[in-house]
Amino acid sequence: MARALLPLALVGAFLLVAPPFLDLGWQNALINILIASLFALAFNLLAGQAGLLSFGHAAYFGVGAFAALHLMARIEDGLGFPTPLLPLAGAAAGLLIGLVAGFFATMRSGVYFALVTLAIAELFHSLAPHWQGVFGGEAGLSSMRMPWGGLIFGSLIEVYYLTLAWVALSILLLWGLTRTPFGRLALALRDNEQRVRFLGYNAHVTKVIIFAISAMFSGVAGALQAISNETANYVLFASGVSAQVVLYTFVGGATIFFGPAVGAVIFTLFAYLVSDLTRSWLLYQGLIFVLVMLYAPNGLGGLIHQHLRHRGQLDWPRLARPYAQATLGSLLVASAAIFLIETLAVVFSRDYAVARRDAGGGFPTYEVFGLDWTPLSPVPWLLPLALFTAGLWLVLQARHPIGALWQRVRAGSEPGVNPS
Amino acid sequence: MEFFLISTLNGVIFGLLLFMVSAGLTLIFGMMGVLNFAHASFYMLGAYVAYAVSSTAGFWVGLLVAPVFVGIVGMLVERFLLRRVHAFGHAHELLLTFGLALIVEEAVKLVFGDFPVNYQMADTLRFAAFTVYGTDYPFYRVFMGIVAIVMFVALWLLLSRTRIGIVVRAAERLPQMAEALGHNIPVVFTSVFGAGAALAGLAGAVAGAFYPTNPNMALELGVIVFVVVVVGGLGSLQGSLLASLLIGLFSSFAVGIDWSAADLLALVGLGDWARSLGGLMIMQISSISATIPFALMLLVLLVRPAGLMGERG
Amino acid sequence: MTQVLLELNGIAKSFGSISVLQEVNLDVRSRERHAVIGPNGAGKSTLFNLISGMFAPTSGTIRLQERAIGGLPPHVINRAGLARSFQITSNFRRLSVFENLRLGVLARHGIRYGLFRPVSRMRAVNEETAELLSVVGLERRAHDMAGDLTYSEQRALEIGMTLTTRANVILLDEPTAGMSRDETDQTVELIRKVTTDKTLLMIEHDMSVVFSLCDRVSVLVYGSVLATDTPPAISANAEVQKAYLGEETAT
Repeated sequence: MARALLPLALVGAFLLVAPPFLDLGWQNALINILIASLFALAFNLLAGQAGLLSFGHAAYFGVGAFAALHLMARIEDGLGFPTPLLPLAGAAAGLLIGLVAGFFATMRSGVYFALVTLAIAELFHSLAPHWQGVFGGEAGLSSMRMPWGGLIFGSLIEVYYLTLAWVALSILLLWGLTRTPFGRLALALRDNEQRVRFLGYNAHVTKVIIFAISAMFSGVAGALQAISNETANYVLFASGVSAQVVLYTFVGGATIFFGPAVGAVIFTLFAYLVSDLTRSWLLYQGLIFVLVMLYAPNGLGGLIHQHLRHRGQLDWPRLARPYAQATLGSLLVASAAIFLIETLAVVFSRDYAVARRDAGGGFPTYEVFGLDWTPLSPVPWLLPLALFTAGLWLVLQARHPIGALWQRVRAGSEPGVNPS
Repeated sequence: MEFFLISTLNGVIFGLLLFMVSAGLTLIFGMMGVLNFAHASFYMLGAYVAYAVSSTAGFWVGLLVAPVFVGIVGMLVERFLLRRVHAFGHAHELLLTFGLALIVEEAVKLVFGDFPVNYQMADTLRFAAFTVYGTDYPFYRVFMGIVAIVMFVALWLLLSRTRIGIVVRAAERLPQMAEALGHNIPVVFTSVFGAGAALAGLAGAVAGAFYPTNPNMALELGVIVFVVVVVGGLGSLQGSLLASLLIGLFSSFAVGIDWSAADLLALVGLGDWARSLGGLMIMQISSISATIPFALMLLVLLVRPAGLMGERG
Repeated sequence: MTQVLLELNGIAKSFGSISVLQEVNLDVRSRERHAVIGPNGAGKSTLFNLISGMFAPTSGTIRLQERAIGGLPPHVINRAGLARSFQITSNFRRLSVFENLRLGVLARHGIRYGLFRPVSRMRAVNEETAELLSVVGLERRAHDMAGDLTYSEQRALEIGMTLTTRANVILLDEPTAGMSRDETDQTVELIRKVTTDKTLLMIEHDMSVVFSLCDRVSVLVYGSVLATDTPPAISANAEVQKAYLGEETAT
């Protein structure tokens, strides 16, 4: 318990102290990271803890955003509601819509449940651009943050601390929930819903409450985004938003509490850092997601958790070499892929098509990673191939020893294997 | 009357197009229990491949190559990706197809750019089939309908009359039993997935020459296709056809109907009251034509999840 | 005059055109240990599913202490005082043994939507769980995951979970299935101990268990009860013998 607190304390200290010294771009990025983390953790209450995969969580995020904006507009008109308490509007809206949506969605399970949530989100997405009154039609709603209690809320850093406070509070509440009887019930529900029923629990009511709480905190996240951007429109209900939170959660790991936050941080940071460097950053995101799904089904967080859990039993000295091999191999494969993708991006771009036309139909040189290449020479094609093959070979070599060492750990942790 | 006729024609043809895409999806779900989020991506891939090939080898070659290419991609996806994740459960399969959809969309943008490409139909098909109330009705629309119908008939015959079809249907009902009888079920699964993808690819190749071929194709069609398979009944080919036509016709008609709930209430004298409420009451059907299919999908999921023709439970 | 706690009258169940139970009449007396035996496919598990609320009977009535429970959802029937175990172990694999049991104890205390207090602070609940843990002999495995237990440990957990709720009518579905002689004996003693002041209805195949534990036996054949009597009377019953032997020579 205490061991887990140290990294948390470090992160907390950083988030508390560092931001005033960072530039505006980073402050904004941190705000987005915090909001994304909360959204992912709220989502995971339903998906990871209760085992109900929702593909339309954007609905509750969006509803929270619009509720906050409506309240902001009232405050602008003179309502004496404290600005720092704005996310309560998001919470209320998320809770209410979550109760209604959850009541219907949880009547179904598995794929059908996912489809219901998808349909609900699409309902909002298609309706909002035409509903001027509530959603501001196609343009959406805008409103300014009003001063309160001596704070102007004009600068980004104030918005940052407001966001931090609410996200920290929400995460604390969500974590506390996992320690309550209801939180344990959610986990049981994921494992064996039928048994839960036969123990005297009304499974449907339980699921509705979980859904509503998840929607409530999603609404808080949405409200925080609306407060930060001072605007929202129907695009918040798009399937892309629902998709992003699913991505964050499962890459980070749905089975441990902070997993989704890890995923959210990774992807939001990735987007912030990489989106300026390359236009293909979404492709990389998709590739990372698929790779994690294939090779680390419990997510990166799950992977870390597994290592922590078995750290006493793992043969670390023996693992060092194959792990280093695998890491190096993966890096080589990754660089090969990045090189190839960036090359293709340049070669297929409009600029290059223009350059080709100017060169009379030939294949002029292009620049990737600061160096010049010609598409006609085999070098830009053989290089990634060589890197890829070398990397793959290293990874495959390392697979067997790693597998064997983990086998030993698993066999060791299971008590007397049942003969039947 | 003109509106009625044109809308019906357009609606039926759009419905048949929807059917071409959803047929594969519903078959795959019925057989493997996998809801392929990347199915509409196969549709988009088909359009783009057809475009790429047709630029150098002509429209008809493009039309032939696209489904084959997409079918092979589908088989590879099933064999090397889906099968791996199958052991982790249905949720992971869903998520994988989800990630694939993302990758395909971005890969397409990488190679072909963010803007629509100029995928054109063959000049030989560029004529008017007939004239309706003074407007020429393009033959290509009819062509799309013909391809869809031929496809449905071929599929139906294949599934009900041939040995392959019997094996496929057996594998759908009781995969382990079919395997015990000596049929190579994994191969069947791979083939069905590939075939479903190929069908979607064909639909894309055909439709892409008429409708704009752009990177948003998959997203635009993707959600409607889900509505179709749910309403028709997951796993039912006939249900898919019925639901496609239903939704195709509805979409076609709805865009031209300017009634709102307030207009309907005006018939019983409550028009002004409804109008004073604003909001939902004054929204015209043409504006919310995109919303109603989702409302229908919700209704079906909640009241009768088996859809129009799917099997219960 | 002993009270009848559980009464089945004219129970029938069909799935589509397949009729599994025809005309089942059964009564279980208070504090009784009552076995249901019968050849495979006779409908015993279906009977349990009907009584515990997994599905509704096609016709007939089920009364639990005068209250009609046919067709009610499982959680309502459970709260009315009936709990069942499953033939195929049905626990929460990824939760600890302690938590598996505690879930039922929480339900017994009425804490179903406990959102505000950490469960570690609920002293009474935790103490009762610990007590139950030692009753079923799983103290040493308290913090292991249920999915990691051996087969007989899981069966013991299964029985334990069935006991956690307020139920005084316990349904045990083949509790000793797949066990060795020793394990069966241990389990029988466990069942005897935990059902001292409860009413037990159990499905069993092992006649020695039936003889050692049960007061009365009902024989279910082809969807209806052939006979109900004490174990010695049943084993001497000619019709029952014919039903069993006839089954065996036919297959």
